[in-house]
Amino acid sequence: MGQLNLRTRQLSRRFGTRIGVDALTFDAERGEVLGLLGPNGAGKTTTIRLLSTVLAPTSGEFSVAGIPSSQPAEIRRRVGVLPESAGYPRHQTGLEYLTYYARLFGHNHADAIRTATGLLDEFGLTERAASPISIYSRGMRQRLGIARALVNDPDVVFLDEPTLGLDPAGQLQILHAVREVAARRGATVVLSTHMLAEVEAVCSKVLILDRGRMLKWSTVAEVTAAVGAPRSAVIRVPLEQVGAARQAVGALPGRTVAAAEERPDVLRVTSSASSDGMNAVLQELVRAGVPILGFEVEGTRLTDAYLSLTRDSGAHTGADAETEVVR
Amino acid sequence: MTASSTTQSDWVAPARVRPAGGASWRTVAAQECRDLWLSGRGPLLLFAFSLLLSAFTYLAATNQAINFLEQREAVNLTMQIAVAVGVLVTLLVSADGISGERERGTLESLLLTPVSRRALVLGKLAAALTVWFATYLVSIPYIWVLGRGVSIVGQALLLSLVVGTVLAVGLAALGLLVSALSASNKVSIAVSFFILLALFAPTQLPGGLPKGWFGDVLARVNPVGAGLHYSTAILVNGHEWTRDFNYLIAPGVLVVLAVVPLMLLSDRIVQLEPGSAR
Repeated sequence: MGQLNLRTRQLSRRFGTRIGVDALTFDAERGEVLGLLGPNGAGKTTTIRLLSTVLAPTSGEFSVAGIPSSQPAEIRRRVGVLPESAGYPRHQTGLEYLTYYARLFGHNHADAIRTATGLLDEFGLTERAASPISIYSRGMRQRLGIARALVNDPDVVFLDEPTLGLDPAGQLQILHAVREVAARRGATVVLSTHMLAEVEAVCSKVLILDRGRMLKWSTVAEVTAAVGAPRSAVIRVPLEQVGAARQAVGALPGRTVAAAEERPDVLRVTSSASSDGMNAVLQELVRAGVPILGFEVEGTRLTDAYLSLTRDSGAHTGADAETEVVR
Repeated sequence: MTASSTTQSDWVAPARVRPAGGASWRTVAAQECRDLWLSGRGPLLLFAFSLLLSAFTYLAATNQAINFLEQREAVNLTMQIAVAVGVLVTLLVSADGISGERERGTLESLLLTPVSRRALVLGKLAAALTVWFATYLVSIPYIWVLGRGVSIVGQALLLSLVVGTVLAVGLAALGLLVSALSASNKVSIAVSFFILLALFAPTQLPGGLPKGWFGDVLARVNPVGAGLHYSTAILVNGHEWTRDFNYLIAPGVLVVLAVVPLMLLSDRIVQLEPGSAR
């Protein structure tokens, strides 16, 4: 077992009668990227605020790098956080901003500048170091925010929706940064996001929350295997072959087929079978002589598992929940 | 849950070298001052202040020239305006201190540092007070011009420094308290402005406060009114500094009532959401 960096035991927070998080118990190791998942209001941000001591727990305890939750100031020295809707002083330059935060973490002026310069370089912001943050793009601000979270060389880094609102290139840059932070610095990264594809790409484990309660804490592979989530795909066939395709696929056990709403020549197939479930569908269509004009698996294994888990717990009851998962 | 549970013995703190020194309120104050004076807000407020004081000094000087105002009264009036507007600007800057950070989304990042909330508040208080000292420096030449020929310039400058600083400390602390407790920055600034207006307006009533014990009580309990009354007594009426010293009780009480709760309760009131428990 690797070295533990984060440990929570029965961690709970209530806001009056409302449950923020309830009895969270999990660990995270050094160098691990833990995906924190859940629908809006599941308690992800509350969890991060608890573990970064911005909020105090109602009950339970946690430790960061061996520092117990009873020493919040010391814990803040050990964690770095990119808050969900972090704001930035528009008139400050990137260098001033990072230098200030390095000073707040106790660096002397020379060290603070050295740290800030190094981080700007690490996150590809050196060219804009002397520019006011007001002219930074959203992606640059997010990278600056992650750099700020690292000024104290933290043991645990919490990133709350770091890719929100970024274009695909910006998302990739952030994901690369997340991997680097975990791999090169050896920090534990807790990544809260709705982007399940990126969780599959970078996270070693996931923690799925729903209405403050922990639904699952495991590796991505274990979550998908344990849930046995159904997969779905859309298949486009010639319009005159739709009937034959439906008949061929419908004959396979564990598969359901329905017409897609968007186009008459598109079928949506759902498979509750094992991981090769869609292979059998394609083989059957070829055997039946149905030309396949298009084929696309929807979402990922984790997406399916996530939806299955949260649907089982009753989280996805409205249209809002359906739009929360971005693939 | 599929991940294995662990025992306390697995728990090893990594040995990392971290800076030993803790950041103090001075770090916060220095950055706040840079933000205030280099971002344009401070110089702009100071420019507006100097324009206002120029206009007022001109009016006082011309009134003096046609014998409507004695020179001592002209100096006193200008000094009172300088103090009142100076502390108003200080109050407005401090009223933006917490609620403004909250609204701009920068408060959480500050709360995530090891700096105590008391140090954050103290740094912001110190930065806000630089506005008062800047307005004081700007007012010096105006008072000097009006007071030439009578030996009250030094006295007026010392009085405005003492009375103004006491009022500025109290009102800036009050502004930060209001800011920490307000639901929005607009509310914070509006409430702070109203407080100052309520304190300053009675001093500008035509004919002054009502005479008699009621007027005397009003003059003494209102920190702004009492402070300005004290300066009038010395500059215009020629009283000794010690004779009306008890008029400084109200400004002193304001300092205690604003600064002490601000420092003692900062941990509880400086929150991401106003009024929420940490």
